[in-house]
Amino acid sequence: MTAYDVIVIGGGPAGLAAAVSAYGEGAKVLLIEREAKLGGILKQCVHDGFGLIEFKEKLTGPEYAGRFIEQAAATGVETRLLTFVTKIEKIADGFVISLVDRSGVSSVAAKSIVLATGCRERTARQVFIGGTRPAGIFTAGTTQHFVNLRGKMPVKKCVILGSGDIGLIMARRLSLEGATVEGVYEVKSTPSGLTRNIHQCLYDFNIPLHLSTTVTRCFGNDRLTAVEVAAVDEKMRPIKGTERIIECDALILSVGLIPENELAESIDVALDNRTRGPICDQNCMTSVPGVFSAGNALHVHDLVDYVSDCSRIAGKSAARFAKTQSKPERKLTQAAFDKNFLYVVPQTVDLNSDLSAVSVYFRSGYDMKARFVVRVNGKEVFSKRYSVLKPPEMEKVVLNLAEALKDGGKPEFALEDVTKLG
Amino acid sequence: MKNKDIKKIIKDVCQVSPDIKTELKDGCVVLSGELDDWQTIYEAGAAAASKRYLGVINNVRLKGKSDGIPVPDFFDEAAEGLKPDVLVIGGGIVGAACARELKKYNLDVLLTEKSYDVATGASGRNDGCVHVGIDLHKGQQKLIYNGRGNAMYDGLCKDLDVALEKKGHMILFKSNAEGRFFSALMKLRAKQNGIPGVKYLPREEALKIETGLPSWCSGVLYMPIGGIVSPYKLTVALAENAAQNGAKILLNTTVLGMKTENGKIVSVKTNRGTIYPKVVINAAGIYADKIAEFADDRTFTIHPRKGTNLILDKKRFDYAVTSITKSPFTKLKNNLGGAESMLASATSKSHTKGGGIVRTIDGNVLVGPNAREIFEREDYATDNADIDEIINKQKATAEKLTRGDVITYFSGTRAATYEEDFVVRKGIRTKNIIETAGIQSPGITAAPAIAEDAAKWAAEMLKAGKNPSFDGIRRGVPHLAQMDAMERDALIKKNPDYGIIVCRCEEISKGEILDALRSPLPAAGTVDGIKRRVRPGMGRCQGGFCMPLVVKIIADELGIPEAEVTKAGRGSLLLYGDKNAEGVN
Amino acid sequence: MKEFVCIVCPNSCKLTVDDDLKITGAKCKRGDDFAVKEMTSPVRSVTSTVRTVFAEMPLLPVKTASEVPKNKIFDVMRALAGVTVDKPLKTGDVVLTDVAGTGVNVVSTSSVIIDG
Repeated sequence: MTAYDVIVIGGGPAGLAAAVSAYGEGAKVLLIEREAKLGGILKQCVHDGFGLIEFKEKLTGPEYAGRFIEQAAATGVETRLLTFVTKIEKIADGFVISLVDRSGVSSVAAKSIVLATGCRERTARQVFIGGTRPAGIFTAGTTQHFVNLRGKMPVKKCVILGSGDIGLIMARRLSLEGATVEGVYEVKSTPSGLTRNIHQCLYDFNIPLHLSTTVTRCFGNDRLTAVEVAAVDEKMRPIKGTERIIECDALILSVGLIPENELAESIDVALDNRTRGPICDQNCMTSVPGVFSAGNALHVHDLVDYVSDCSRIAGKSAARFAKTQSKPERKLTQAAFDKNFLYVVPQTVDLNSDLSAVSVYFRSGYDMKARFVVRVNGKEVFSKRYSVLKPPEMEKVVLNLAEALKDGGKPEFALEDVTKLG
Repeated sequence: MKNKDIKKIIKDVCQVSPDIKTELKDGCVVLSGELDDWQTIYEAGAAAASKRYLGVINNVRLKGKSDGIPVPDFFDEAAEGLKPDVLVIGGGIVGAACARELKKYNLDVLLTEKSYDVATGASGRNDGCVHVGIDLHKGQQKLIYNGRGNAMYDGLCKDLDVALEKKGHMILFKSNAEGRFFSALMKLRAKQNGIPGVKYLPREEALKIETGLPSWCSGVLYMPIGGIVSPYKLTVALAENAAQNGAKILLNTTVLGMKTENGKIVSVKTNRGTIYPKVVINAAGIYADKIAEFADDRTFTIHPRKGTNLILDKKRFDYAVTSITKSPFTKLKNNLGGAESMLASATSKSHTKGGGIVRTIDGNVLVGPNAREIFEREDYATDNADIDEIINKQKATAEKLTRGDVITYFSGTRAATYEEDFVVRKGIRTKNIIETAGIQSPGITAAPAIAEDAAKWAAEMLKAGKNPSFDGIRRGVPHLAQMDAMERDALIKKNPDYGIIVCRCEEISKGEILDALRSPLPAAGTVDGIKRRVRPGMGRCQGGFCMPLVVKIIADELGIPEAEVTKAGRGSLLLYGDKNAEGVN
Repeated sequence: MKEFVCIVCPNSCKLTVDDDLKITGAKCKRGDDFAVKEMTSPVRSVTSTVRTVFAEMPLLPVKTASEVPKNKIFDVMRALAGVTVDKPLKTGDVVLTDVAGTGVNVVSTSSVIIDG
């Protein structure tokens, strides 16, 4: 059984960045990817807008992935493609990972692992659309796969439910390829995707966005023939009498992404029910020592640049963990955050680890003008003003908490809504 | 079922609706007229059921609606002139089991199914319970066939390489006294019904078998012969084994009518041509009364009773590891709310045991079903109201149940008669037909026994001897994710396609999908057909990731363009062909 | 007065151009440039795919090397529909020159990787 310092599971942008940075720390690294090619979901994201932070230029998904694939190729990171992880087992000094590939069943050992397993899309059934289940109901990602990787059109005239970024991107993509997008429907009163995508993907193509409206029913036995949409009240319940039938042959769903953490759960990694990713510390280490989480498996990002950013932390930390003989006891303290946040990552900090550059990622619970404040033991140690915070747009700050936490205590995060103060 | 005479029936039906005409005809109670409300039509039919007569023929029309077997959108000559010894109409579990049983005799067998695959009706739309029969009554055909069928399951599933688990079923009680009292009654019933092993278990004992007991449960009635199977995998296996033994299976074939002469079926008209069978077995499920009508042998009516089941993530081990249902006598405060709940159960004429929590053979948790009388025979649409109803009701048993646990849900229609019993018999007015109708719960359990009788009768009618070359053993597609590493490794070394994982949620390999595509039943060449056989797309992502890959594998294997691969047969196309093919506007 | 949302970066700045053509709301200079262009001759990048002859990679992702006039987007798409790549290309290689008379080239955004 081959032994590695770090094994990274998942060869998308998170796994690539983690593997490269772990290698940079001198670790022996194996990167495992299910598919035949590296790059993850970026392979099918042929649109641009990636890399403005990471590379200071506007790249398409394949270009962004390509740069990291080149970086990885230039290192000694070992890669196994078309390889599926079936099981992770904890052993005394690390982990044994069972693999399946075309050659059979095998196992590899690692001192630490990075879970970069990405996320999956929420389905029509999970948002409780009633009616029949004919052909023609696709998630935005499945549609994107068909159009951008297979060159097949699954749609002539569609309705899109959900204003998440992939849905908006697909509205433009399908329009460019000659399909009709009747409209985008969003159950919430505010869009879920980035504002610029509403403009360049919908308004540029005269596609209307209907807020506080949802799809309630599908019709058709073989192929979809129509959907019913209805306005919703403030509790997102359909309002009787507002139903409208729209003839269409496809319903495309962009109703949210869920971090994939089945492997994490199998080794008892504790999850945060807000992010649905692991609870981690400033090093992206989960509740299980030696298990790190990166990218969309940790929490769903809106920009791949931040995926790379946080995955580097995970990769670097995993390498350091693997290379340290006598591991210092973790001294975890739970961070507190107020109800104006949708979530804050990391959820804990390890007081026995470096606190001089803690990357904090957060989303606000609703649209607001706010002051982001960090306090330790009641004392304000950091603050930043935001002219606008929106749940779809994640924010990142890097904090030096070494001084503030040197005698213990816990960081308390607050979002003071100053919208009314103007 | 009541035992009332026609005068009483006429009075009762008149009370339901004075606009319905009731008469006795050829031993059947015949209702006619036209109403604009289905519930009333159903209630009239129910009021007309009586032991004294052959059955209720409810011909009351629903205003503005037509009721019949849907006419297919294509016609060819694939079945023209076929002269099978036995024609089995319907590819549900009963039809598939009949086809297989018939091949134990020297008989030429043809099975027609109107859908793109077998098990697309009720057989593919139920919880897969292999029932105990505790709720059945003496005199019911259900009781006889359920008992015989249950006893056949171990051997049958072994022969067909279909997974079966007999972990038992449980009825949950709240108070000790109640548990002991009702258990004693039910044990008596078990004895009468010939059900072995039934016993009362106090909570701590029951927890050793079922870890998912709700907090209020003080004890259970444990019925060890209760089991679980995949009803569609079993149907597929039966059909495949029948095909292996030479039965011909024609899918996409709808019976449109029959020609009878002197009390015999002479020919059967389908959209694929006219068939000239010597004997017909009616296993047409939700349309069985229509087929019986074609054959001039109708003594019953099928009234669709819709049920919805929720499928939860495999992770919910805390809900059930066996199959559990709250005792109908147990009243819980939080369930529906006191008075309303009492009223609901007091007035309940429900023909389902109230549903429950079932751990399926594939490890998912199934919650439901509910029961609703509907007009449309194949209305498989789902409603939020049903989902809410099921969650509210089953919260009593799975205490933490929320919508967030649900990965998907499905509806089916039970082929119920007004007598609420099976109709398994030789033809009455027509000599060469065998009816296997009204097969609702416990139809999955009963099917092997029903088929045994039906095949025996057909063989007697045709004076057919045993078929010495019948081979009842069928190998299923291996499920590699469930194998140990050595076994799995050996298989992958023989066929590297077993090492390419296509469905990440259910860990299904390309090799398994190809095996299903190469099986003796051609319907595997659809996305849903593959899904039913080997489960890609059954997991938490519901095919989001693997569906395009499955489409590609099907297309490559069948040598057709991806755009010709369907979700579920004719008309359910997924793709329109290559983008850019026609340019853009 | 006219309002735009800047699409240059994810900040999505809300830009206001008043009657004296004064631009407010941009967090950076690129926003001012965007507003001017949007007022005079709006441009967009086009990203899409073109067919290849390679079974392993039936489509190659491409983009316009720079922005093209917004009203030429569908002309670009029509031009791309007629392209089939028949030789391996690398990221950045030109797939089509002067697409739809815009003077802009279409370039590959991925390498054609052929297994085996």
